[in-house]
Amino acid sequence: MISLILILLASLFFTGIIIRTKSITSGRKGPGIFQPLKDIWRLFKKGSVYSKTTSFIFQVAPSIYIASILMAILVIPLGQYKGIISFEGDFVFFAYVLGTGKFFSIISAMDTGSSFEGMGASREALFSMFAEPAFFILIGSFALLTGHTSFQEIFASLHFGSYISYILGALATFVLVMMTMVENSRMPIDDPKTHLELTMVHEVMILDNSGFDLGMILYGTNLKFAMYGALIANLFMGSFPLYLTIPIFFVIQVLFAVTVGILESFTARFRMNHNAQYILALSSVSLLIFLGVLLVLKLVS
Amino acid sequence: MTNVLLIIFTISLLYLGIAHRLLTYIKILALQGVLLFGIAFIDLIQINAINLAFVLLETIVFKTIAIPFFLNYIIKRNKINRDAEPFLSNFISLIIITLIILSTFILSNAINDSRISKIYFVVALSTLFTGLYIILTRHKIITHVMGYLVIENGVFILSLAVGNEMPMLVNLGILLDVFVSVFILGIFVNRIGDVLKDTDVDQLKNLKD
Repeated sequence: MISLILILLASLFFTGIIIRTKSITSGRKGPGIFQPLKDIWRLFKKGSVYSKTTSFIFQVAPSIYIASILMAILVIPLGQYKGIISFEGDFVFFAYVLGTGKFFSIISAMDTGSSFEGMGASREALFSMFAEPAFFILIGSFALLTGHTSFQEIFASLHFGSYISYILGALATFVLVMMTMVENSRMPIDDPKTHLELTMVHEVMILDNSGFDLGMILYGTNLKFAMYGALIANLFMGSFPLYLTIPIFFVIQVLFAVTVGILESFTARFRMNHNAQYILALSSVSLLIFLGVLLVLKLVS
Repeated sequence: MTNVLLIIFTISLLYLGIAHRLLTYIKILALQGVLLFGIAFIDLIQINAINLAFVLLETIVFKTIAIPFFLNYIIKRNKINRDAEPFLSNFISLIIITLIILSTFILSNAINDSRISKIYFVVALSTLFTGLYIILTRHKIITHVMGYLVIENGVFILSLAVGNEMPMLVNLGILLDVFVSVFILGIFVNRIGDVLKDTDVDQLKNLKD
């Protein structure tokens, strides 16, 4: 229960800190931290316009998208406290319920009948396909290391002892940060500010959504950021008591938001056909993490 | 700590598969030199001091400073195009290098020799095969030489694995390095730019009679 409340709280200011960091690095002061929330609230009050070429899928998909993200958040623990749903193998449930949301957003983009959105949908599908083994190999390595298969038990019994587990933890943090950038379609995979046809991936899928649906999709981005930030924070929490884990959680979320802002300000987007090999490189790095875990467990010498 | 350095070394191999520019190749070779310096320092601290000083000097001076400097000089002097032209796209290179690392891992599990440490064996063999792969799949002659340097790094790691028992083996690995530096110095800096106008491996066919 407590992780759900904390993640919802963190999602309120996350995108605001990212935009603020980007503005400060550009020399401006930037909008307030709650400005994205005010934009979403304004969108919630508007009505939606549906085109005649779309079917019921286009009207249903944004709700399914945000519902899938909320269900995935229910699984995430906070140190030693379970999420609302917790069972053996729930990290597979986590990945695939997010996949369901993504599937619906892809088919709603193709439902509009515009080949522009279909192009964005196919790119999004390709990048998600390459990012999936990265996530599974990473969490699978941690499951192998601790001997448990549910999120809460993995994170509760993870502790860093030798040199090699520190570097595995650092590599895992790097892979998770990069996976956040892939899943939320931010730099260096996709530029959220560009609206040139040749270079859009996620923005183009939501071109035709308006009003309440668009507000839900934008809030879904905030939630996803806070969710991955919670995963990264869990790597560092261990079994501390509650009065330590809550400040650590918020500090790590703020640091993560500042890092995302700095990464977005100082890197350019990759060429579109280099994106695929970059994401595959993330999967290869997580494969190395798996081999490193086999080393730590003394299955190899 | 050597395990950490070896893992970073393997990540540099993956980076070698997706790099586009020749300067990136040279920087990766310099990074590998620094990592080998660290591994040699931690591993061989028990052999006598003069041998150790020779090994450490060799890794830092030759692999990290001298060879990258000379490669840079050759590229600028012969006005070689700065893009590494691969036959296969970088995406397939990345998949193949990952498969190389995986298959050396599986191979090392099949060889149950207790005298050699498995992680050294895996990293050395995968470096060797990656260097061979780089030689095979790039157009230019200069990347041919860089692939050979990567193979040498692999041989050096393998010699470090048994370096405490046989210090002369490490010296042999170093002599290989010195040989290649003289090779680059003597042939490339002076001759190749004058004789072969087009630095393409297909032109090497013209050398046979």
